[in-house]
Order: sequence, then structure tokens, then C-alpha cells
Amino acid sequence: MNSPQHAIEVSGLHKSYRLGRTHLHVLRGVSFTVEPKEFIAVVGASGSGKSTLLHLIGLLDRIDKGTIRLDDVDIARLPQRRRNRTRCRDVGFVFQFYHLLPELSVLENTLLPAKVDESLLSWVSHRGARRRAAVEMLERVGLGERMKHRPQELSGGERQRVAIARALMNRPKFLLADEPTGNLDSRTGKQILQVLRTASRDIGQTVVMVTHDAAIAAAADRVLHLQDGKLTGKWKERE
Amino acid sequence: MYKFTLCLKYLLKRALAYFAMLGVLVCVFLMLTCVAVLTGFVNKIEVAAKGLFGDIVISSASLSGLGEYDELIARIKKDVPEVEDASPFILTFGILQLPGSDFRRTVQLAGIRLPERARVSDFEKGLFIQQGLHDPTFDPPEPLILRRLDEDDKRTFKILERVAGLPFSGDPMRYRQAVADKISMGAASGLTPDRQALAERLLNATGFQDQAIEHFRNAKETARRVAELQAQIQAADEAGDETKRDLLERQKAAVERALILPPDRRAILGLGIAGLSFRTPKGEIVRVIGPGQQIVLSMIPLGRQFSYADITPVTRNFTVIDDCSTDVSSIDSEIVYVPFDTLQELCNMGAQRTAGDANAIVEPARCSQIHVKLKEAPGLSRAESLRRVSDVARQVDAVWAVFQKTHPDAARSSVAVETWRQRQSQLITMIESQRTLMVLILGIISGVAIVLIFVILYVIVVQKTRDIGVLKAVGASNLGVAGIFLAYGGAIGLVGSILGTLAGCAVVWNINPIHDWVGRTFGFQVWNRESFLFDKIPNQVEPGTVLWIVTGAIIAGVFGSLLPALIAAMRQPVEALRYE
Repeated sequence: MNSPQHAIEVSGLHKSYRLGRTHLHVLRGVSFTVEPKEFIAVVGASGSGKSTLLHLIGLLDRIDKGTIRLDDVDIARLPQRRRNRTRCRDVGFVFQFYHLLPELSVLENTLLPAKVDESLLSWVSHRGARRRAAVEMLERVGLGERMKHRPQELSGGERQRVAIARALMNRPKFLLADEPTGNLDSRTGKQILQVLRTASRDIGQTVVMVTHDAAIAAAADRVLHLQDGKLTGKWKERE
Repeated sequence: MYKFTLCLKYLLKRALAYFAMLGVLVCVFLMLTCVAVLTGFVNKIEVAAKGLFGDIVISSASLSGLGEYDELIARIKKDVPEVEDASPFILTFGILQLPGSDFRRTVQLAGIRLPERARVSDFEKGLFIQQGLHDPTFDPPEPLILRRLDEDDKRTFKILERVAGLPFSGDPMRYRQAVADKISMGAASGLTPDRQALAERLLNATGFQDQAIEHFRNAKETARRVAELQAQIQAADEAGDETKRDLLERQKAAVERALILPPDRRAILGLGIAGLSFRTPKGEIVRVIGPGQQIVLSMIPLGRQFSYADITPVTRNFTVIDDCSTDVSSIDSEIVYVPFDTLQELCNMGAQRTAGDANAIVEPARCSQIHVKLKEAPGLSRAESLRRVSDVARQVDAVWAVFQKTHPDAARSSVAVETWRQRQSQLITMIESQRTLMVLILGIISGVAIVLIFVILYVIVVQKTRDIGVLKAVGASNLGVAGIFLAYGGAIGLVGSILGTLAGCAVVWNINPIHDWVGRTFGFQVWNRESFLFDKIPNQVEPGTVLWIVTGAIIAGVFGSLLPALIAAMRQPVEALRYE
């Protein structure tokens, strides 16, 4: 009988960087699992390795040692093409500083992952459906009226909503949020968190959110504490 | 799809891109303009060379020329089926004078056979009176002459009206007087000194043109008057009245200037001989001495063996019957065409016979060159056409080699059989070298466009580092990210080159009006018609050249964007996202 499949399985993860002459050992044997549709928060002080952990799970960086399995697939063994496709279809990122492209409108920013997913020819046949999906996603995050606006015409909260819509565009299995409320006031942060939770729940995603804010982390199903590159064992299960 | 979207957005939204496009535009514009003018130059020389001398020229290295040319022509036409026709040609130097004036200048005298000449060259296309006639002669019909002269006279009056600012009254005599009176007022006339000078020249030209028309209209009366004066001179001579005889001689000489001489004493002027015609600042040609006027031609008969003590110049009066423009100003400005037989006789190149027996030819008549025209071969490319002419030239050379053995007197010195291109090779090679050099220099200048694109794209790549991180985070591949910037560089090259091509074509196609406008407005002329071969700046935009330049610009754009694209592609997504 097969053991129950985890959505994310991190095992003995190590990652270090060279910063000038300094060798930074950022992650020192991190292991944990995340179940499908679970919403977990990783908290820790600045420099504890939270973002690095997120980047490794999201295939934005390479693992030094250990394994990460997404849906039972060892991502370290994936060829570059598969890594790109996994990032495009299976993972959605929400960044602290939104990272919207200023030349594109709200709708175009939202459509970006879909356009990366499609060739010029296939875009012609899927354009209508993709556009409808983007519009629906923007309406879901409350930006149905601002689709033609440029990012610079939006408030911080609105920009982050666009970033969430973009992250959800391809309906990925995993949503990785790096301090999604870190650049917002607490009221807007709570709203964004609500949007993130609702949208991801509707789609049925597994969410890993990194934050240094315990109040924000409290909204997660489970909280992992990271300190000096190690999980401290102080886990909090949501009631 | 995202590559296309972002490339388009960066192209439209980044002001820096417009500078890169401007750089490409300027380079393409310069390249196209220079190449078009120099290509036009080469093509014009080629067309002119073919039009003037046919496809192949057989020429003697010596002034003694070629003998038995008619037999040689018949042999060539028989043995070389590609040959359409051939015609003998004499070329020598002479002096042109205007009777009763101090005007004299050296000219080239060309002896041509009409209408045969029109079958081996484009001679008839440049004629004024007989333009386009397939069988031009030295004796065109009088009604045609009068019609053309009348049209030209009216045109000159129209120009005079414009320049002098006086409406034409309908009476040429009175109108000329009114213009002369206005000019004599000087500054008070309201005309600038340049306009006064031009009006004076036009006034003079209309006088000569009206006079020429009168010469044709009164031709019979003039001939009768000359005969009458001749009879009176004879009577005075017989009576021994020297004074009366001299008086009558002077009268006769004056009347004779109005004579329309017989066809063998008629000439066709090159349109552009200084002093006989001029151009207005707008480029209109005004004839002063043209059909109907007499000229005096003097030459030294150098056709046969001579001792310097024997050299005696011969001088003859000719009536101008037409003029011809070949579009090559260096030819038009110094050539006078006269009947072949007349020039042959004057150059001492006619057949020499034994005394007392007109049929016993001691030495055959000679010509300077034979111009050979090939049959049309439609559908050939330029290279194939050149190859064909070279092949036929070799066949003609072979015919000459055989002919020379059976006719040892045909030439006393070496004879060359050359294609039109070989004859003009020095000039064509020179211009082609200039064109190559120009392309090379502009190519180096275009390197600046590549550097410009490189710098601008590098700046954009640095500015867009975070966007590159975002793109990679949403799944864009290294190749895809590189593709955005390569396409961006290519698009800058494409748009810049299309705009440069449009600007270049607009300037090249209107280069002559623009040049004239610059001359009128700023008072200087880059293209001096006296110095250059052609009276108009050649302008030929070849589609192949445009394609070559546009492709080059796109490649330059892609090349300039190569390194920035690689830098963008190699960015690690994490580093890119953290970039400040």
C-alpha cells in the first residue's frame, strides 16, 4: 500500500551562498511536508532563510543538498525545460514588491503567465478563453473596473491584488507568497490575506506563505518557525 | 506570445528605442542615398555608352582608321547572327566658329550615317527636331522643323515672360523692345541683377530663334538672292570694278549666312555646347544657336599619312539642322555631328583613286570606328546580357582576324574589338570603386548604429532586470528572454530601416528638384553640370539594394542586441528579483 502523497515534501534541505569572502549557510537541513490544499506560513526573523526556502520550492534557485518533491516529483532531477514549465503551470508567485511590469496594463500583467504558456500560434486559438479567465480572476480580486489601468496608477493594495490574480492565472497547484503584506498597512494587509485565502481555497491550492508578521501568519493552517536556517520545532496548528 | 507582446511594448513605450531607430534611420538613409546615386551613375554610364556606341565598338588605334568597313560590316552581319546592324563612325577634332562673330571653341566632330545611325544607337531619342523618328536624316521635312522651332520659340518667350515679369504682348518685336527697355532701367526695373542678366540672355535667344525660323521660311528667296548677287559679282568682275565687286562680295557673305545649305553641309549640334545654349536656374534649356543657323567648322585632315608641312586646315560652313542630347553632358557639350561622307572627305579619309581613272581605287575609304548593335535578347539578366555581349565581341574579333588576312590594307595599326563596358571600364570601375568605398565607409558608420543599439539595449536590460526575474518566475525560458531582446533589436533595425528607406527614396526620387531648390535658396550647387558627366543627378533605387540594406539593418539590430540579450538570458531569476 502506498504511503499518503504529500503536496510538498522537503527533506534535509541545505543552501548556502557566497557573499564576497563570506560563506553564508542559509538553510541547514530543513525538512517538512505540506499536505494538498494546506495553507502554511513560514515565519522567522530577517535573514533566517524564509525567502530562500520559498525560492527553492518555487524552482527559482538550485538546491545544494537535500530534496524537494512537489507532488512526489523530485524537482532537482527535472531538466530545465520541465523546470520552466513547472514554474509556469504549477507554481504561482506573489512577491512583497508586487513586481508588475510597468509597460503592461492590469489585464496584460494578469495574462502574462498565460502568454508564457502559449506559443504565438496557440495564443490565437486560446486568446478568448484566456482573456475571459483573466477578467474573471481580476473580478474575483475586486479589480474588474481597473483592467486597463497601468500598475503605476494603482495603490499598493491594488497592485498586490493584480499580483495575486497573475499568480492564480494558470490555476497552479502551488501558491508561494513572499511577504505578500510586507509592503502594505495592516488593514490592507488583512484584506490581501483574505483575498489570497479565498482565491486559493476556491482553486484548491496548496499555499506556502513567508512572513515575519505573526499576526498575518496566524491566518495559516499551520505555522513553521525558521531560525538560523533550521526549523525550530515550534509548530502551530491552526485550531 | 509574451516575447511578441513585450517586444512591441518596449518598442512603443521606451523613448530610448526611438533614439536607436533614429540612428538606424540615418544610417539607412545615408547608405541608400549614396548607393542609389552611385548606382544610378554607373547605370547611366552603361545606358549612355550602349546608346551612343552600340554594344560593340571596333576601333583603330591610329587616326588612319579602318578601311573597307562596308565589306567588314557585311561580313560581320553574315557570320555573326546575333548582330542586328553596324555602322561606320568618324571621330576627329575641330574648331567651331559662328560666322560674323568672335565665338570659337574646340569640338569633337563625329561623322555619322543617317538613318543608319539610329539602328545601332539611341541617337534618335535625343534629337530635338526629329525626336523619336526611326529614320532621322540631315534633311528633315521643313514643316516639322518649323513646327518644332515655333514651339521652342514660344517656350522661350514664356520663360522670358516669367523672368522679366512682363506679359507677352503677342508681337515679338515690340515685346522684345519692352523687355529691353525694362532691363535698361537697371535696379529701377524691380529685377534683381541675376534676373536682368538672365532676361538679357533670353532676349538674345529669342532674337536668334526668330531669325532661324525666318531662315527656313525665306530659304528659297535667300538662295535666289545669293544667285543674283553672284551674277552681279561676276558682272562687276568682268567690268573690272573692284570696289563694286568687294561691296557685292560683302553683301553676298551676309546673305549667305541665312542660307539653308544642302544636306551634305548640315550639322547636328550636341545640346550643351557652351555659348550655343544655356540652362535657366530652373534647369530649362534655351537654344541660342540652333536649327536654321550657320556654323563654321574647321579641322585638320589627319586621315592619311602626312608630313607636318602638308597640314592645311579645311574650313566649311554648315547649317545646323537639329540638335541632340545624349544625357551625357561631357559628350553633349563638345560634339557636332556631320554627315559621314562629308567628314570623311574633309578628314582626308575618302577613297584615293589613280589620276585619270575614277574607278581605280588605290586606297579604300576609311572610318575611325564601327559601332555594332546586337539583336534584342529579352529575358536576360544583367550578368547574362554582359556575358552575351562579351561572347559576341569574341566572335566579331574572330571575323576581324580572318578579314584582316584577306584585306591587309584594312588597318595599318592595331584594331580593338571591345564591348561597350570594356570601353567605359575605366570610368565604370572608378565609380564602382567609389561606390564600394562609400558602402565601406557607411558600413563603418553603421557600426555606430550597432554600438548605439547595444548601449541602449544594455541600459534597457539593466533597467528591466526585475522584469526578467518576474518573467522567469512565471516560466519564461532563457531562450525566450533572449528572444525578447533579439526581436527588440531586430524590430528597431526593421522600423529604422523602413523609415530610412522611405526617407531615402523620397529624397533620391526628388533629388534633382531638391538640389535645384537648395541652389536657388542657398546659392550653392553640389552637382555642377559643367563638371559631371550628366546634366541631372542620377537616381536609381534598385529593389535589390533596398532589400540588402534593410536586411543589413535588421542584422545590425539583432547583432547589437546579441550581448544584452545574452546578459538578460543568463540572469539568475533570484538575483534578478533581488536586483535594486
